[in-house]
Amino acid sequence: MTVDGGLRATADSDLVARAAAGDGAAFHALVERHRAMVYRLAYQFAGNHHDAEDIAQDVFIKVYRSLDRFRYDAQLTSWLYRIVMNACIDHRRRQSPAGWAPFTEDAELRMVNTPEEGPGPEDQTYGGQLGDVLAAEIARLPPGQRLVFTMRHHEGLKLSEIASALDLAEGTVKRQLHAAVHRLRAALINARVTTGGRA
Amino acid sequence: MTACEFADKPEIELYFYGELDTVERTRVEAHLRQCEPCRQRVDDLQAIRRALAAQPVVDAPPAGDWSGFMRRLDAACSIDAGARLVARPPRARAHWSARSVLALAATLALVTIGVLLAARFRAAPGPKTAALNPSQAEAAAASPFSTEERALREVSAQHLERSKLVVLGLAALDPKATKPADWQYERQLAGSLLSDTRLYRMAAQDRGMTDVARVMRDLETVLIEASMSDNTDRDALERVQRLITRRDLMMKMQVVALNSAGS
Repeated sequence: MTVDGGLRATADSDLVARAAAGDGAAFHALVERHRAMVYRLAYQFAGNHHDAEDIAQDVFIKVYRSLDRFRYDAQLTSWLYRIVMNACIDHRRRQSPAGWAPFTEDAELRMVNTPEEGPGPEDQTYGGQLGDVLAAEIARLPPGQRLVFTMRHHEGLKLSEIASALDLAEGTVKRQLHAAVHRLRAALINARVTTGGRA
Repeated sequence: MTACEFADKPEIELYFYGELDTVERTRVEAHLRQCEPCRQRVDDLQAIRRALAAQPVVDAPPAGDWSGFMRRLDAACSIDAGARLVARPPRARAHWSARSVLALAATLALVTIGVLLAARFRAAPGPKTAALNPSQAEAAAASPFSTEERALREVSAQHLERSKLVVLGLAALDPKATKPADWQYERQLAGSLLSDTRLYRMAAQDRGMTDVARVMRDLETVLIEASMSDNTDRDALERVQRLITRRDLMMKMQVVALNSAGS
C-alpha cells in the first residue's frame, strides 16, 4: 500500500483518528512518517539491524493496538518515544537469561541499571577511530542511560521533553545523562591514552 | 587547592547541552574561566559530539528497503485485529459459544494459511514437485538459511499453525463465565502439543534459530500453564490468557510463520 499525497499533508492527530476508525491507509501514512525516527532510536539502542527491526515492529504494533487510547492533546512523538523506550526495555528483557524468571519490579530496576556485557574499550583493537570506540561504549551503557543519552544527543530533545516522554522525573533524567557522559568521557580518555593522543 | 564545586555534578553537561537558565549559565561560565579540569570536561564533550557526528546514521533497514518491514507489520496487525475480535465478547452474551469460537478460529486460520501461501508463492513461483525446479532451486540458493534450517522452519511453521487454533480458543474463553471443567478439552489439546513444541524449541536452540526458539519457548510456557491446571484451579484460565497477552504470542507465531514461509 502506498500513501497518497493528501495523507502526507494530514496532521498526526487526524491520521490517528482515522486509523483508529479502521482506515488502513492512514495507519500506513503514520508509520511512513515516523518509522525513520523509530528505527534510528531502535538501532542506536540495539546496535544491529535484526534487533532494530524487531523493536521497530514491536513499536508500531503497540501503536496500532493503542490508537483508541491516544490523548489528542499530546504530541504523537512524545507518545512514540515512550513506546520506543518500553519496546527497547522489553527487548532487552527478552534477550536476558532472566527472561524465563517471573518478572518483578526489582528485576526491571536491576536490568535497567546493569551495564551490558561485552569487551571494554581497552580490549578493542582500533586505529584512532574514536567514533567506533564511543559507539561501542554507548552500546555497553545500561539501557536507561543509553536511551536518555540517545534522545538528548542524537535526537536533540530537551531534558524536560525526555522526562515527559519517558514519564520520569527530570532529576532522574539529569542523573542518567550525567552517568552516561561520565562513562563516555572515561572511554574517550582511555582511547587517548591507548593511542597516544591520536584518537 | 580548593575542590571544584562542580566535580561529580551534572552542571557542566547541562551547560554544554544548553539546559541551564541564565543565572546558572553565567555562574558556570565564570567557573570555567578559572577551572582547567572543567574546561577539559567541556572540550571532551565537544570531542564526543564531533566523533559521534561523524558516525553514520542508521534510520532504515539495509539498503533502505522498507518493503519487508511493512509486509510483516501488515501481517502482524491483521492477525492482531482478528485476535482482538475473538478476545472481545459481545455485550449481549456472557461468553461465546464453542461453535462460534471455532468458526472464527477456522476463519482466521484460513486467512493465515492464505497469507502463508501467498508469501510462499512469491518466494518460489512454479508448480510444487518432489524435486526442486529451477526457480525453486534459485530461491533456495538465494535464501539466507541452510537446507536443514529451511526444513526446520517449515515444520515449525506447520506446528505453529496447528497450535494457533488452540491458543485462539484459550484466548477466546470468558474466564468469568467459564468453569475449570468447561475447558478441559482445551487443556487436553494443550497437553498434546507440548512435547512437539519442546522438541522444536530445543532443535531451534541447537541451531541458533533464536526467533523460532523464542516463540516456541513462549508457546511452551502457555501450553504448560494450560495443561498442568486441573478442575480445582479457578484462576488458571486467567493466568493462561495473561501469558498469551504479555508474550504477544499470537503476533509472534504469525511473524515466525511468515518468515519461515518466505525462507
